[in-house]
Amino acid sequence: MKRLETTAIVIGGGVTGAGTLRDLALRGIDAMLIEKNDITSGTSGRNHGLLHSGARYAVKDLESAKECIRENRILKKVARHCIEDSGGLFITVPDDDPEYHYKLLEYCKYADIDAEEIRLRDAFKLEPNLNPDILSAILVPDGIIDPFRLASSNILDAQEHGARVLTHTEVVDIISDGRVRGVICRDRLAGEDVEVYGQLVINASGVWGQHIGRMAGVDLKMFPSKGSMVIIDYRINNIVVNRCRMPTDGDIIVPGDTVSIIGTTSKRIDYSEVDHCTIDDDEIDILLSDGEKLIPNVSKTRVLRAYCGVRPLVEVSGESDGREISRGVVLIDHEKRDGLQGFITIAGGKLMTYRLMAEMATDLTCRKLSIKKKCSTHKTPLPGSERASSIKRGIRSFTGISRSVIGSTLNRHGERVYSILKRDKKNYAIICECEMVTVGEIEYALKNLNVKDIVDLRRRTRIGMGPCQGELCAYRAAGLFLEFDHATPDEVNKMFLDFLEERWKGIKPVLWGDSLRESEFTYWIYEGLFGISDLQAGE
Amino acid sequence: MIQLENISFDHCIKCTICTVYCPVARVTHLFPGPKQSGPDAERLRKKTPELVDESLKYCTNCKRCEISCPSDVKIADIIQDAKWKYLKKRFRIRDYFLSRTDLLGTVATSTSWFVNFFTRLFLVKFFLDKLLKIPSGRRFPQYERGTFRRWFRKNADDQGSFDEQVVYFHGCFVNYNDHQLGRDLLTVLNTMNIGVLLANEKCCGVPLIANAYLEKARRNGRHNIRSLEQASEHGRIPIVATSTSCTYALKYEYQNLLALDNSRIVNNIEYIMKYLYSQFERGNIPEMKPVGMRVAYHAPCHLERMGGVIYTIEVLKRIPGLDLVLLYSECCGIAGTYGFKSESYEISQKIGQDLFRKIERADPEVVITDCETCKLQIEMNTPYSVLHPVNVLTMAVKEGK
Amino acid sequence: MKYDCLIIGGGLSGLTCGIKCAREGLRCAIISSGMSALHFSSGSIDLLGYHPDGTVVYQPFEHLGHFINEHPEHPYAKCGIDTVRDAFGFVRGELQQEDLDLFCNGEDNHFHITAMGTMKPTYLSQRSVFNESLKGAFKKRARIAVLNFSGFRDFYPDIVVANLRKNSLFSVFEIVSGTIDLPLFRRTNRNPHEFRSIDIARIFDSEKYLPRIAVEIEKLSGDALFVAMPAFIGITNYNRIHRRLEELTGTLIYEIPTLPPSILGMRIDNALKSRFAALGGVFINGDKIIGGEILNNRIEQLHTTNYYDTGFTADYYVLSTGSFFSGGLLSEYNQIREPIFNLQVYSERDREQWRSSNFISGESHPFLEFGVNTDDRLRPATLQGEMIENLFCTGALLSHYNPVKEGSGGGVALSTGYYAARQIIERKAGQ
Repeated sequence: MKRLETTAIVIGGGVTGAGTLRDLALRGIDAMLIEKNDITSGTSGRNHGLLHSGARYAVKDLESAKECIRENRILKKVARHCIEDSGGLFITVPDDDPEYHYKLLEYCKYADIDAEEIRLRDAFKLEPNLNPDILSAILVPDGIIDPFRLASSNILDAQEHGARVLTHTEVVDIISDGRVRGVICRDRLAGEDVEVYGQLVINASGVWGQHIGRMAGVDLKMFPSKGSMVIIDYRINNIVVNRCRMPTDGDIIVPGDTVSIIGTTSKRIDYSEVDHCTIDDDEIDILLSDGEKLIPNVSKTRVLRAYCGVRPLVEVSGESDGREISRGVVLIDHEKRDGLQGFITIAGGKLMTYRLMAEMATDLTCRKLSIKKKCSTHKTPLPGSERASSIKRGIRSFTGISRSVIGSTLNRHGERVYSILKRDKKNYAIICECEMVTVGEIEYALKNLNVKDIVDLRRRTRIGMGPCQGELCAYRAAGLFLEFDHATPDEVNKMFLDFLEERWKGIKPVLWGDSLRESEFTYWIYEGLFGISDLQAGE
Repeated sequence: MIQLENISFDHCIKCTICTVYCPVARVTHLFPGPKQSGPDAERLRKKTPELVDESLKYCTNCKRCEISCPSDVKIADIIQDAKWKYLKKRFRIRDYFLSRTDLLGTVATSTSWFVNFFTRLFLVKFFLDKLLKIPSGRRFPQYERGTFRRWFRKNADDQGSFDEQVVYFHGCFVNYNDHQLGRDLLTVLNTMNIGVLLANEKCCGVPLIANAYLEKARRNGRHNIRSLEQASEHGRIPIVATSTSCTYALKYEYQNLLALDNSRIVNNIEYIMKYLYSQFERGNIPEMKPVGMRVAYHAPCHLERMGGVIYTIEVLKRIPGLDLVLLYSECCGIAGTYGFKSESYEISQKIGQDLFRKIERADPEVVITDCETCKLQIEMNTPYSVLHPVNVLTMAVKEGK
Repeated sequence: MKYDCLIIGGGLSGLTCGIKCAREGLRCAIISSGMSALHFSSGSIDLLGYHPDGTVVYQPFEHLGHFINEHPEHPYAKCGIDTVRDAFGFVRGELQQEDLDLFCNGEDNHFHITAMGTMKPTYLSQRSVFNESLKGAFKKRARIAVLNFSGFRDFYPDIVVANLRKNSLFSVFEIVSGTIDLPLFRRTNRNPHEFRSIDIARIFDSEKYLPRIAVEIEKLSGDALFVAMPAFIGITNYNRIHRRLEELTGTLIYEIPTLPPSILGMRIDNALKSRFAALGGVFINGDKIIGGEILNNRIEQLHTTNYYDTGFTADYYVLSTGSFFSGGLLSEYNQIREPIFNLQVYSERDREQWRSSNFISGESHPFLEFGVNTDDRLRPATLQGEMIENLFCTGALLSHYNPVKEGSGGGVALSTGYYAARQIIERKAGQ
């Protein structure tokens, strides 16, 4: 068996794991991250990308709200290119209790969140598509954060500082002799096992922590709560729209990059379903009908996909009836709690408190390893976020290429765009026409961003995330993997099929109208014209 | 709330058919095609106007993309809308005057000899090219002496004596450049016992819309709607036009692009060939003598888009002795004022090349088309003269050939 | 406007019906709201490619009788084998008049290579996809070259080669790949890396670069028996260009259909439309039916977006509006319907039953079989259960067949279009 050595092993490639890896690397600690699937393939890649102002939690959970607004401000500086400072609105529709409006304002003040009531006229100016019957509106500093870019940039920075990453590699056992020494993991693509030894194992695997905990011999109870979301195929709103009431199902519409996401629901599921959660029809119903109350006619637009993620809620006290469930951050030193040395867990929290969680985990790591290094992630910008990207500057640097392409690439990679789009016509060819992804960007991702297949590529570049859902770009992307020698023909065949199936998973639940037309078209081309089911069969 | 009528780009399933049939994308790489400029880019523009690309300006608005689209996406409308909303507006004297056809026409018809002479001079064209960027290759339309309306006032006061009437929206071209067409229309209609009335007109607004002078276009539009409502006695009398562009603007662009309310007259406005066809079908068909000519018919883009090519063809088929050749339907390239601008002149010329070659291969005596700017383009680029279908009808009605 | 026959939908089915009617002297019009699915097709015409268990059908006509017995609701069952045969012969003949020859392998299917290097069975193909010389080449066992043009992003020869090599049929061939890099292209003022198939097809049409291209082909393919390229060897001038290229290179030139737009499909579309016009048919593009009058179980008149007042009247109407992506069938949150006349459709009520769990699988998807139900004369009924006497339904609009799973799309389109036309002609003659 292959054997690798490092100092800190991070299990889990979500934003928390990525952030931890970066923090470790910036402090000069040799570290390796092991992720069983792809970066952000878990909960980190399955939320609605909201950069909370904290207003949503102000009334119910003041501590959480305070954490949020502090991190909100930090991230807007160090993760610029991953964030859109869109602002957010809390609107009261006729069905809602008008008292909550005042409560929200009051609690936001306690939490130091800039919440301000605005005139309805101004609210409609900010967002013309709002429900014309709203009663009141509050403006808050919500924003949009792209988890794929966020994690990818953290990993990029970590790797540039010497850290190592193993994706598509699953931890199958924890090496322990009373003290954790390392992990045994299986490289799913190569089909071989690897031993990794280190001084400390950091469990950042989110909801999968229960499983990892069991391997280490500790009890880590998770309460898997499924949250489903529906994606509308274009941006129906440019500012986050929240319903001004106690947080429940279907009360938020978040603009994404070029789409809008209606969220979310909350259904308890069994732990065994964590890897295969599916979205139910009644969830889609609720999301669309509640979405209508925020932005009318949304259910008559094209619903692109539906997906679900599992919230990594941790049970803290050891009771199992759910009353102690916390959304807050949970940091466990298993040496203290369970007498197991060499193993810590960082869990819970939200997408946007990842940096704080990473800081807490790395601080604990430093204490345990007697390293005197301080955290700098709150002031060191991520690669691409060194300064605010300006499309004007971008346009001056590139000629013969459409503004939409430059702008889209700039959005995704920030200042790195200048090294991605090498000035050569060949690089400018557009592969994904919906999201304007060029050959140059794909080449960059293949070479630098830990891309093993087209699904990974999609997370780094947004290929296949537009209305066509891969109809034109799936084949082209597969071809490029071969052209850039990044995969063998057999691997290309497999990843092509896998990509189409992955896209299908999210289209299936909303297969009607234009989505059905699109799928029929895609099916005709790839099966009717290209006969790809023959690849499945082998010869 | 989301205005469902403004989001047809949502239906695009990325089939790329529109880009295949776009005449501009065919001849230049400067225009990435209607799919990319329309529905693709619209999703990005909704995110931020910073992602708007200048290449939008190359779209000629010929609407061939909309005709080909199997998903009902109003591609050309989306692109025009984006042009107005996002492209920087710079004042250009050339565009100002090219779009104010009433102004130009009034001045030019009162000094027609002078204007016609000078716009043919090489030196004048050279300076227009250098100063105003009007391509020197472009041939200018000739102006008549005085306006058609003046001729009408003097020579056609008996129109009320016929059994039926129509209101004739003559448009700028007939008024300033081609009185004969207007006179021919009177001949044909009078022979069919139909009198012609005029309404108080301003330019229909097509060149204003094309050059983003939307407010002026709306003012003209409101004026025309009011005056046509009056002249047609609120829809009792049919309204006809000999220009397909005018018809298209009055019926569709007024409501779709300018958001004007033309509901009271929209169903009464017809392109003249459709009106004549329905008259023929009713039995009101004039006696026609054989016109022994070989003619080639070119269908203008706007007529294809709004439907009605079959009426022109059916009427032409009723003219005895006519050897009618139907040219493959494609854009001639001039696209209104597009072909009068240096930055798009080359593109406009390239677009029409196939059509010109086909006309030469057909070798007719005369080319027939419904659109006045197509007429300018074809006459400039081929050795053939171009007539309106009404001109040919007049030949048949008067004395054959 | 009055016609003998009015066809709604200008795809393969509608055009076949229109040409047949026009041939017999009927006044015929086709109304089409946009371009048809021929623009994405392989440009070959499938008859029957697969058994229900997924194995390949080698002799479609021989098998057709059995197939029809097993599938009494299938459109082929309604047409009958003779009509299917006649329809294929008819379309082939008409296309020949437009200089577009389609070749077949006698009564057997032949195969065409796909852009993934798999093989699909089909019955009729264009010269660059199947002909006697190509058939002979397969028996010779030599070298095949798969070439692309530099920057054309819709084709990847290495994938084709890798997968072809896995196929036992090709085990004795030496397969090479290559990329033609023509600096000439850069001078055409376009970024060649943004070319679609239509752009390269137009370049071929102009014949200007043929000799240079031929030289490059020879360089890369050596003494290859045939050279496979993406399907863009000209569109209006295809016949001439193809022959000339074969002469210049001394090798057989083979075309592989890739991502849309499909030049192979467009050649058929152009030829059929040209034929229809030559026979006096009227083709109205870019218009949509918005309503109509049905009186005493007969359609009296139809109105379209552009011809909303005068409308269209015909003795017989044919609905060939296609499947979902062409707009012939409409799917909403919880129902499937036919949007023009609200005809009775076959579908499933539960949306989960519309599709399969996997995108690509042997089961294909149930929604491909949804469509309008008809009697054995292709006549539909309204939702209220009334049969409309002067309306026929043809093509992908029909229910109870799966064009992809069976490999029968083109065949059903032209057979049903032909069958509807025949009935209309008989009835008109009888009047």
